[in-house]
Amino acid sequence: MAVRSGGFVGKVLRVDLSTGKIGTEDTIERYAAMLGGAGIGYRVLWDEVPAGTGPFDPANKLVFAAGVLVGTSVPCNGRTTVTTIFPTCWPKPLVGSGHMGGHFAATLKYAGYDALIVEGKADRPVWLMIRDARVEIRDAGHLWGTGIRRTTLELSQEMGPDCVVAAIGQAGENQAPMGMVVNSVSHSAGGVGGVMGAKNLKAVAVTGSGAVRIAGDKGEWERLIKFHLSILGGNNQHVVPSFPTPEAEYYNPASRWVGQPGKRWGAAKPPVEITGNIHDLNRIAYRTNSAAYFLGEEAWKYTVRGNGCTACPIRCHTMLRVPSVTAKYGIPDTAQNTCVALQFGRLFFERLAGRKGGEAAIEACMVGMHLADDLGLWSNYGQLQRDLRKLYEGGYLKSRLGSQEYASIPWDKYEKADPAFLLDLIPRIANRQGELGEVLSRGTGAIFDHWSIPEAQWAEDRTTTYWKMGHPKHHANEDDGQCGVIINTQYNRDAQCHSHTNFVRNGLPLEIQKNLAAAIWGSPDALDAPGDYTPANVHKARRAKWSLTRKELHDALGVCNWMGPWAASPLRARGYAGDDSLESKFLSLATGQAMDREALDRIGERIFTLHRALTIRDMGHVDMRAKHDLVPPWIFEDPNGAAPFTKGTIRMDPADIARAMEFFYAVMGWDKDTGAPGKARYAALGLADVGEKLAAAKLTPEERK
Amino acid sequence: MNAIDEDGLARAIGDTVRSASAKAQLITADAVVEQLRQRGFGKCPGTSPEAGLCLSVAAMLSALPDIAPLASVSGSIVYHDTTVLSRTYARILDRKSASAMLLAEEVRSNSRNYPRPVPRELFEKPPFDLAPETITAVLKALASGQEFRDIASVTTSAGAVYLFSDLYLERGYAAFLAEQDASFAMNP
Repeated sequence: MAVRSGGFVGKVLRVDLSTGKIGTEDTIERYAAMLGGAGIGYRVLWDEVPAGTGPFDPANKLVFAAGVLVGTSVPCNGRTTVTTIFPTCWPKPLVGSGHMGGHFAATLKYAGYDALIVEGKADRPVWLMIRDARVEIRDAGHLWGTGIRRTTLELSQEMGPDCVVAAIGQAGENQAPMGMVVNSVSHSAGGVGGVMGAKNLKAVAVTGSGAVRIAGDKGEWERLIKFHLSILGGNNQHVVPSFPTPEAEYYNPASRWVGQPGKRWGAAKPPVEITGNIHDLNRIAYRTNSAAYFLGEEAWKYTVRGNGCTACPIRCHTMLRVPSVTAKYGIPDTAQNTCVALQFGRLFFERLAGRKGGEAAIEACMVGMHLADDLGLWSNYGQLQRDLRKLYEGGYLKSRLGSQEYASIPWDKYEKADPAFLLDLIPRIANRQGELGEVLSRGTGAIFDHWSIPEAQWAEDRTTTYWKMGHPKHHANEDDGQCGVIINTQYNRDAQCHSHTNFVRNGLPLEIQKNLAAAIWGSPDALDAPGDYTPANVHKARRAKWSLTRKELHDALGVCNWMGPWAASPLRARGYAGDDSLESKFLSLATGQAMDREALDRIGERIFTLHRALTIRDMGHVDMRAKHDLVPPWIFEDPNGAAPFTKGTIRMDPADIARAMEFFYAVMGWDKDTGAPGKARYAALGLADVGEKLAAAKLTPEERK
Repeated sequence: MNAIDEDGLARAIGDTVRSASAKAQLITADAVVEQLRQRGFGKCPGTSPEAGLCLSVAAMLSALPDIAPLASVSGSIVYHDTTVLSRTYARILDRKSASAMLLAEEVRSNSRNYPRPVPRELFEKPPFDLAPETITAVLKALASGQEFRDIASVTTSAGAVYLFSDLYLERGYAAFLAEQDASFAMNP
């Protein structure tokens, strides 16, 4: 693919911390077939990291990869994918990736690099300085032991105001599997912080003076950007507001588009009132207020503004100022984040976890954000918090922790939902202090291993939302029936796929959703009403495949899968259709090389299939269906005893899920019995070398037979 | 009236309705005629006399592509421009003087079209702006009358009240959807 002329900036930076060697490779020559993101990451792991490598071994590699559209003006293009042998995958670490927004990806490209490969292990704490072509491994002795904020501040002062710092905190330094890396203060990639710590890499700081060239027609590019803006909704591509407006035919009280005229960013100086037409393209940033959505109406008065990633008008990282927390808890009064990371503190408390509002919940969120984003501790999509609650509420800790340690934990504060409890608990975990801190710092699998608790006690309890392999569900049957189940079987961590849920939660009436489904996936039956599920069919499997390949594509392009794909829109004139070929249109214009939707989806499938190949290789099994694509027992239960396929239940039917998997394997072109690709499938996707290696290791279905 | 006059009148009618819609107002044909008169339409040579103007306006209102009639709760026909004032919002505006119908029909349309129950607190917010005690009184009245007896409520495990129409949603399914709706923020 001769795509040298745009999109890609041309080089992949490789840094060997063991030897100090720093070099570059030509992106197009080595990685064009994988575009970017996890595509590059999977390829590096396949080619260079042998099966059996542990996450904290020097032989493991960390691949920070931007995407082809990162650093352009495409909305929502700020994603970095960090691919590695993922440490919280249980019982055996396997390939996985953490994903972060912010400004790291774009700045890396402005410095001239499509990706950064970190290998080896430094003999002392270091940080990596990248200033365009000048790259240096520098001593980080003065930073080791400090939090992410101080590290970010010190490196920014050294490098200048345009610098972007991606750093680990104490959790990463301590090689906690639950450590994360954070860039731009609040944008985190979970699970990879400990891998950085194991390499003695405290931070990567980058500035870049270059640009990303658009090879195609500039006028066409501008028109496409404006069109893209016109089909954006609020956060997670919810395309209708949560309130009736004169401009919209539809609304949905559960929509994340909460920025109603009359609402105020009450902590801004001076406060800002939302006025005018919220559908106006210059007012998109007012639509989303994650704090108000997740924490309730009280959050408006604490809102400073929306913050976010490169070129993203959604601004889902809501910045809050809550003056009371400084005096009460000794933390800064301002913090910002979104989704689970915004709720990091509140979710630890049984009394606060199930409801939105209240001052205590907001204060707990502030304390949680401050500690997690400074110590660099990941939530595993809230599983850390659900684990703590289950361990405590279920009496596990009382019976297993030593009495002295148990007594040292301020459970009275937990019971009262006092945010001060977090000042004790979160540092314990980040510092791996005591038995509780040590176990929780290693992830859910460590709970099973260390305390000999059968995994089934989590997997049978729907309140844990535990799925498999040490990780929770991420938009599964509760959102999207069999489609959600299929998606949640495929990864080695929580699925992190939003292609499907962004569509089913978009807020449009079911009839319109079905019309759009028919146009994209061939049948209105590709989609059910929530909790009114019908038996599995091939159209749902096609939608699952589309969701997964688009998720991989978005990572490879560097656009946000928390917003895309843009299958629906707020536009009545379009019948509320988005544009399913938007990604390929952008890529074609960026690179100057025409590529249609089908060809681009094929690349997404190639990337996804390489993830499958890595999983098969590193598990040493070809029978993915029996050994990997697992579901927890709770999906086959209903608390009220409702039967599958009755209205008002998310209960699945085992035989139907087996059929759903077979439909999925068929649309993927995989072997029905094992759920594994054969040699021919690998070859058809441009992965012939992968297929041959797996065949030689008897890890393809035909060799097994 | 010649073609040019007709075009001019049609444009003026469209502008008049659009202008009202932009201010979130519904407008009757009579009000359109009155505004046109004030702009001199009935008085200009070549245009219809006043009675004729009324007929022309009525005919043109039904022919203009983006202008939609709405049978108002007041008994009259009102108009809005659907490009600036949606049908849904127009209905809400029209029913603001009839709280029971406003609440009941909004609950029905949500149950029928999406389908979903809606949180009771929706009606406390703009553009409904009903006081909590008004909502309580309306729900009591709905339950005791015949016309809107299909409006029912479910309460989630966290205590949130959701309203639905049992014409379109079964109670069990409404309860499930309410629970799901209330838990979305916990399932990010």
